[in-house]
Amino acid sequence: MAIGELADGLTVNLDHVPRKYEGLDGTELAISESQERMAVVLDSADVQAFCEAAARENLNAKIVAFVTEEPRLRMEWRGDRIVDIARSFLNTNGVTQNAQVYIEAPDGDLNYRKLVPECLAGKPLAEAFRENLARLEVCGQRGLAERFDSSIGAATVLMPFAGKYQMTPEDAMVAKLPVDHGETDDATAMSYGYIPGIARFSPFHGAAYAVVESLSKLAVVGADPMKARLTFQEYFERLKDVPSRWGKPTAALLGALTAQLKLGLPAIGGKDSMSGSFENLDVPPTLVSFAVAMTKASKTKSAALQKAGSALVWFPLPETEGSMLPDWEKIPGYYKEILSRMENGDILSASVVKEGGVAAAAAKMAFGNRLGISMDRNMEDAATLFAPASGSIVAELREGAEFPASARKVGNVTEEASIVLGGVSMPVEELTKVWNSRLEKIFPNEAPEVPLSVDVPLWTERSGKAPAIHTARPQVFIPVFPGTNCEYDTARAFEKAGAKPEILVVKNLTAADIEETIVEMDKRIRQSQIVMFPGGFSGGDEPDGSGKFIATTFRNPRIAEAVADLLENRDGLMLGICNGFQALIKLGLVPYGKIVEPSENAPTLTFNTLGRHISKMGYTRVTSVKSPWFAGVEAGDVFAVPLSHGEGRFVADDATMAQLVANGQIATQYVDLSGAPSGNVQWNPNGSVCAVEGITSPDGRVLGKMGHSERKSENAYRNVPGEKDQRIFESGVAYFK
Amino acid sequence: MGLRAPEMGEHMSDVIRVFVEKKPGFDVEAQHIKADLVENLGIRSLTDLKLLNRYDVSGLSRQDFEKALTMVFSEPNVDNVYHETYNAPEGYQVFAMEYLPGQYDQRADSAAQCVQLLTQGERPQVLTAKVIAVSGKISQEEMEKIQTYLVNPVESRLASLEKPESLDVQAEVPGNVQRVEGFIRWDRQRLESYYASMGFAMSLEDLEFCRDYFRDEENRDPSVTELRVIDTYWSDHCRHTTFSTRLTEIRIEEGKQKAVTDAIEDALKLYFATREELYGASTEKPVSLMDMAVIGAKSLRKKGLVQDLDISDEINACSIEVPVTVDGKTEPWLVQFKNETHNHPTEIEPFGGAATCLGGAIRDPLSGRAYVYQAMRVTGSGDPTVPFEKTLKGKLPSRKITTGAAQGYSSYGNQIGLATGQVTELYDSGYVAKRMEIGAVIGASPKSNVVREVPAPGDVIVLLGGSTGRDGIGGATGSSKAHTEKSVEVCGAEVQKGNPPTERKIQRLFRDPQVSRLIKR
Repeated sequence: MAIGELADGLTVNLDHVPRKYEGLDGTELAISESQERMAVVLDSADVQAFCEAAARENLNAKIVAFVTEEPRLRMEWRGDRIVDIARSFLNTNGVTQNAQVYIEAPDGDLNYRKLVPECLAGKPLAEAFRENLARLEVCGQRGLAERFDSSIGAATVLMPFAGKYQMTPEDAMVAKLPVDHGETDDATAMSYGYIPGIARFSPFHGAAYAVVESLSKLAVVGADPMKARLTFQEYFERLKDVPSRWGKPTAALLGALTAQLKLGLPAIGGKDSMSGSFENLDVPPTLVSFAVAMTKASKTKSAALQKAGSALVWFPLPETEGSMLPDWEKIPGYYKEILSRMENGDILSASVVKEGGVAAAAAKMAFGNRLGISMDRNMEDAATLFAPASGSIVAELREGAEFPASARKVGNVTEEASIVLGGVSMPVEELTKVWNSRLEKIFPNEAPEVPLSVDVPLWTERSGKAPAIHTARPQVFIPVFPGTNCEYDTARAFEKAGAKPEILVVKNLTAADIEETIVEMDKRIRQSQIVMFPGGFSGGDEPDGSGKFIATTFRNPRIAEAVADLLENRDGLMLGICNGFQALIKLGLVPYGKIVEPSENAPTLTFNTLGRHISKMGYTRVTSVKSPWFAGVEAGDVFAVPLSHGEGRFVADDATMAQLVANGQIATQYVDLSGAPSGNVQWNPNGSVCAVEGITSPDGRVLGKMGHSERKSENAYRNVPGEKDQRIFESGVAYFK
Repeated sequence: MGLRAPEMGEHMSDVIRVFVEKKPGFDVEAQHIKADLVENLGIRSLTDLKLLNRYDVSGLSRQDFEKALTMVFSEPNVDNVYHETYNAPEGYQVFAMEYLPGQYDQRADSAAQCVQLLTQGERPQVLTAKVIAVSGKISQEEMEKIQTYLVNPVESRLASLEKPESLDVQAEVPGNVQRVEGFIRWDRQRLESYYASMGFAMSLEDLEFCRDYFRDEENRDPSVTELRVIDTYWSDHCRHTTFSTRLTEIRIEEGKQKAVTDAIEDALKLYFATREELYGASTEKPVSLMDMAVIGAKSLRKKGLVQDLDISDEINACSIEVPVTVDGKTEPWLVQFKNETHNHPTEIEPFGGAATCLGGAIRDPLSGRAYVYQAMRVTGSGDPTVPFEKTLKGKLPSRKITTGAAQGYSSYGNQIGLATGQVTELYDSGYVAKRMEIGAVIGASPKSNVVREVPAPGDVIVLLGGSTGRDGIGGATGSSKAHTEKSVEVCGAEVQKGNPPTERKIQRLFRDPQVSRLIKR
């Protein structure tokens, strides 16, 4: 357990370890570990301050051990000293075993990086091009990746999928540092490298190229790979006592070591697992290289093609013929050329060759903005197109840029969205479908089209309402429930807009905690001009529905009264985003403007039609500017807003819809690229009725919306085009001026 | 552990039971389960499937329950509710499933917390189960197939349809920790039979080593706890036993192309040259995989090429010191990153295994007082599109593993609130042997937030966050044990579910510099 490693000499009292239920014995208490439990070493004088701080965060904290002079690990349970072991003995890590290693020589004729995949060999190029995209090793994984929130923190520089269609996967992830105030341009880039086929051919080469692939992936997003720090993940079969099995991790580590020493880039961490066997089956020899480098958000590049008229070029990786290894001496220069051409504006976008070869890399680059490529004659060769020349880079070169001597022409970027190869024209839309549909049954992207049953005209009339009492710096009350996670981003957005955010962590460990919280909430709401419900997963979106913690708490008579006072007597504002919107609608604050009993026909938010979480940028139109929250924009304005939710499907019957429309309460809608509300899952990803993204109370002072308008900052999501700032927070503050 | 039997003359049950079913149009999960059973399991005769959440609640007045019903347990615009009993329509077969006792159930936990927010009284007890009703000409055999498909025995079981008298859990007071009597006098043969009975992750040689230690240094028999603690401490997962193995001989096969073999020979020579340069020619330091893994960084550091490395005695994430400019002002920050695998737990219980993979990865930079803001996920899977029938005996289908793991990892990450910037699954038939589930995370904090001091006698260890249960036991040793067909049945206690809201509270707490600066380690 983690406690045992904190100091050489320790006496642990297991009776003080909080337990979930009775009946655990000393051994069970001694060896249980968990990620949501943490042990810290404190000076005894600081314990009280620390435990009080923990209590404010709704956390249990308990003294369980003391550091002792004598270097022994001791544990006591019910007055019995059940563990008393010398640290020196524990630190031996047991008996050192011996093993012999035999590294089997790879057969260079089977160099995976040079071979056309068997399933494509001999096929006409255009047919192979299409089939390549549907291969399991190559196909799109959007349905998988979109389940993961990629924008929380408002610091994400690259969304996982780029372009206005969000169809080009990025090679690395880039995020700005999590500063709690102000703006920074400093960002981290992180990537991985590993291709099972190469490692099967040769674990040694597999590891060397895993390192290079991870570095190239940093280069294509504009980070300097020669300043990277690495960490490895090894995963191998059970080694038993068989020298040739030991040969695999040995060869892999030697390959990775060579890369580190030749490039001067260290692996400063790593983790291994040698349990990858089941009966006669073994995992492929796996060494995944993770690379991390500091970079600048403002210089970050995407993999999505930007502009018709550009040239698409391939920079083959410098390699040593006989050894089949990268040419270590030339690698730094290789990256330097890429980075300097990014710096001077020659390279507009770039991507790394992986499984699928240059062909798949180029196609995926075209998917994001749906541009075409007219492929060059010298690409009409299966090995050039399809061999996984991992770590090499394909780049989009600005029209008129000087052609690099080390590069080969792939083709020209065209306005017409087709890839033309050997006289055969393949529409990009269709290729995207081929690429996307392989895993459709496992990780779905498709859901039935939602009919837009009610027409929602733009509402341009602004509510003239103004508060009786003006204030230059309104106070915003932001409650944090267990599971809320957007309060930092929300508070920052309000602070930037000139408001004074007040975060309160809801404490609920005991009945007394809850009572204290209710009293405090009541007080703070009455001091505030705005109440904001931030996003997150209050209560983990359980029991089987979202926003229940918030809604239940706000139905407390004392709190409900404070809210009524805010809205009815003090002309205050309320805002709820995502989980906050779910809570507002469940309370009735939208669309009714007050807390009402739940009823059978009330509109609500429920599970996305896809049956899974979605995270992507959504295009939304401001349909009504009645609300003061939209004072800074015009009806019809379209924004790109981060979406991330599992229960965002707005549901209302036609009668309710008609009422909302007639009163200008449909605030925002999901739209397609033409700016028209859409029932298609690509643009309306949760399947909302009439593409509704946000609604307001009758007079517009309470706004609930799904899109995370608070997740905005300089250079965020720069690989997805569109205006991202809806000026909601600024408008809310301006209302009180 | 089990449910308490009713005693004679006791009052009527205080347990309130309610069934909640999503209305048509809202029943997304039921429709997905139905499609899964028809398309993937091949139950073509299945015509309809109903899914209900069953809540058993005690410690709550009838009046409070009525209030909770429309706020917590159900919503009138979304759910249908059935009190006490659920009578499925004609022609439906019904069964229920529930988590194994002691398994963390976020639904039940949140329901209890939410009811308490409503009543402001004591927290009630809540147990949940899922009730499934299916219609169509479904044979007994097909019913069993459905149940086997939906109930993963390492975490859940079929539930009784009867309402219990009470939700109290009868916990027996555990006996004292046993000493392993005579251990220090045992010969190898006696040790061997003991070894066989204990399911240790360590080797028999390690156990002999323990015997010698307790005999020669402690002059007493060990407790069972001591052997378990040592086993956990030494297991592969924590301390890389395999990686520390001394490699007594390394031979390289002469292959078809000399240049390729030479490249490997050169790499080996480079390794030995680096050892000599670092440790001297006559070093006793064993040649090992661990040495090969870390020697590159050691050598480059000696050459002054790793200026940014942040060195400390703390065992946690990779840490580098970098300048960060905020609003024009530059200050030193620590950036910490870490990769973690949960291959074995994810293989046997995909949701919990993958969720706690991420939770575990976050834990290290977090304990280093970094705010973890991004995650990457790289996984390895067998072809998930192969039909269910081709699943190996003793394995879950690749499809179930990969979709369950995606759900678990994303649910944890989405709840704790970090941006997952890249998700990639590698498909290779080898990962049928065992799935690969890697989480890599990155965190950062101003350097001034991190104080590192050597613990001194009299210092105090404070335990923070969630309580301890059986589900956290064996996480370290389980992955080190050999994996066979039996694994799915016997590993039950090792499966952990995550509780992301609790880990997030720790994230919030440690982000406060006033608090983080109190932490010595």
